[in-house]
Amino acid sequence: MPPGTVRSLTRRDTVLFSLCVGLSVVLLFIPEIGTSVAAVARSTVLRPVLWLQAWAEASRTSRARFERLRAERDSAAYAAQFLPSLRAENLRLRGLLGLARRLPVPYVAAEVLHQSLPTDGRTLLVSAGSDRGAQPFDPVVGPEGLVGVVRAVEKGTSLVMTWAHPEFRASAYAEPGTVFGVVAPALRMAGAEYLLQLRGVAVRDTIAPGTLVVTSGLGGVYPPGIPIGTVLGPAAEDTGWERIYLVRPASSPELATHVLILRTPGSRDLAPAFAPPALEPAADSLP
Amino acid sequence: MTRSDRPRLVAVLGLLVVLHFGLRPRLGWSQVAPDFLVLALLLYAIRSRPGRAAVAGFAVGLLLDALVPARFGAAALAHTVVGYLAAWGRAVFFPDNLLVNGAVMATGVWLRNAIVLLASGNGGGLGMQLFVWSPLQALTTAATGALVLFVFRDWLDIRLEA
Repeated sequence: MPPGTVRSLTRRDTVLFSLCVGLSVVLLFIPEIGTSVAAVARSTVLRPVLWLQAWAEASRTSRARFERLRAERDSAAYAAQFLPSLRAENLRLRGLLGLARRLPVPYVAAEVLHQSLPTDGRTLLVSAGSDRGAQPFDPVVGPEGLVGVVRAVEKGTSLVMTWAHPEFRASAYAEPGTVFGVVAPALRMAGAEYLLQLRGVAVRDTIAPGTLVVTSGLGGVYPPGIPIGTVLGPAAEDTGWERIYLVRPASSPELATHVLILRTPGSRDLAPAFAPPALEPAADSLP
Repeated sequence: MTRSDRPRLVAVLGLLVVLHFGLRPRLGWSQVAPDFLVLALLLYAIRSRPGRAAVAGFAVGLLLDALVPARFGAAALAHTVVGYLAAWGRAVFFPDNLLVNGAVMATGVWLRNAIVLLASGNGGGLGMQLFVWSPLQALTTAATGALVLFVFRDWLDIRLEA
């Protein structure tokens, strides 16, 4: 190959690389372009792979296996319960089933389609979309409590912004309902756990560690009574004008396999649906 | 890469895409499970010119950005850089050695994750992601990559040394 050709190829490589980097940076700074393209992509070219993933997710966890367990109830299935991961997963599924029975509002059950990026968990793709009635700003819950809110819907999938997303905010109160604030991601961890902050608490108010924090219903997106987490203690970065408390989240988006999308929940209090009995260890035994 | 090798490479890359969406969800533990898409990108990149590898990386990144739009463009940037560097690296130090191949794949996954996290802004837990989850995912991906190279060594036309 003549030297001139090698040089032009190298120049072409550099141009292509620079072009791709430039486009990526443009997408980073003008996310509206990418968001609209992504929505179209998810409902067109990515539909087959998302269908494949939803099928794989369903057959793994899964409703099929769970239903078979319930139908057969044989000793092998019973033994499988003691494998830690299956046991935790079945506990979560049973919690979700219990929650679904108690919810007084319509809902859509969906599988979580986890992706390989490290930012998976800040947003989640779930396998229920506009075809099943999901709409933007529908709250998303798991058996333990609030997971996030639907940000965009397509036919067959919805995009959920979880509480781990830096832009997440929810109006909340600490039980029994005298101390209000706004919950946001804490940008720090306790061990391997992500934390939340309850901000905007009046300086005159104090909250004891272990207090349950639930959605207040203010703002109209999240209905009141959905558990968000429990108070760990005051954060170090108190501003002097407000108190900030660290909150251990009730749910874990990275580990969620199934969620419920609440459809038009309005302002109905959901606290009774998340009542503790269904989440107690006793629920971990087969009927 | 000769013209006759291309269908075999496309078949292996297609298989990896199917594994990514069809098998990976069944493995569970998403933070650690091998990333077959990055594996496909690296297998393509080390057989291509850097420019083409960058374009392929950009396409893979866009696909992942559409699925995890925590910060749209972060994955496109990360995969572009990883694809380009893998193609350049092949010209500098890439012998037909399984360990070196594995090391390049592990480094590619870790670098991809680091760029995605940094470009996405601090969502908390950066250290945990960079020094615990990403190295684990890099290791599982490298091990899977070594297995793929070993199984498809004739198709990919490589002479593997120990």
